[in-house]
Amino acid sequence: MKNNIKVERAIKNITQKQLAKSVKVSRQTINAIETGKYIPSTVLSLKISDYFEKTVDEVFQLEDSDWK
Amino acid sequence: MKTNYLLPNRFKLIGWIILIPSFIFGIFLFLVFEFEPDFLNIKLFAFAKESFNFLTGTTSKEYFTFVETNALDEILALSLIISALFVAFSKEKDEDEFISKIRLESLVWATYINYAILFFAIIFIFGMPFFWVMVCNMLTILIFFIIRFNWLIYKSKKTVKNEE
Repeated sequence: MKNNIKVERAIKNITQKQLAKSVKVSRQTINAIETGKYIPSTVLSLKISDYFEKTVDEVFQLEDSDWK
Repeated sequence: MKTNYLLPNRFKLIGWIILIPSFIFGIFLFLVFEFEPDFLNIKLFAFAKESFNFLTGTTSKEYFTFVETNALDEILALSLIISALFVAFSKEKDEDEFISKIRLESLVWATYINYAILFFAIIFIFGMPFFWVMVCNMLTILIFFIIRFNWLIYKSKKTVKNEE
């Protein structure tokens, strides 16, 4: 699964730390999601999207490899 | 994140404070010197015990009886197990779903390593040495878990720091 959290963060001009605090997870979690090492749960995906005032599919997208 | 199967974060520190001295004490005093202080010679209730009679050269089993023993090894084993459980299963300060995933992976990994070692011990180690392997085996799964889990947490924290 791809995401553009990094881009959204840049638009809002906030750090990983601030985002982590807002959605109540650790900084490592935001970092791991951004680098594609961790796929967030549905609840966390919704919270992150909500924070950026976007829908989930604007922030997170399926990749071909997700179907394999 | 809400989890009802982990201890509060403060138990982690308590765990380390008990675990480290018990571990050092356990290795050096008990295994190396066979240290048995007299004041810990006490009578304990036993569900089952086996004693060796030196005159007849036979062993006898008794059930639901009392046993005269040195309690140091019992105390050490209990404090090691309890403190290792505290260290392993206390919440991180920022326990969340990603950390839960690392926790689960580490636990499965520790179980594999633990039984891989036991597997070889069953094949290649016999008699009393095997008994000692089983004694160590009481703790190895928790110790492997603690090492692996904390290593991964340390690594992910380091990655975050590097990006600052």
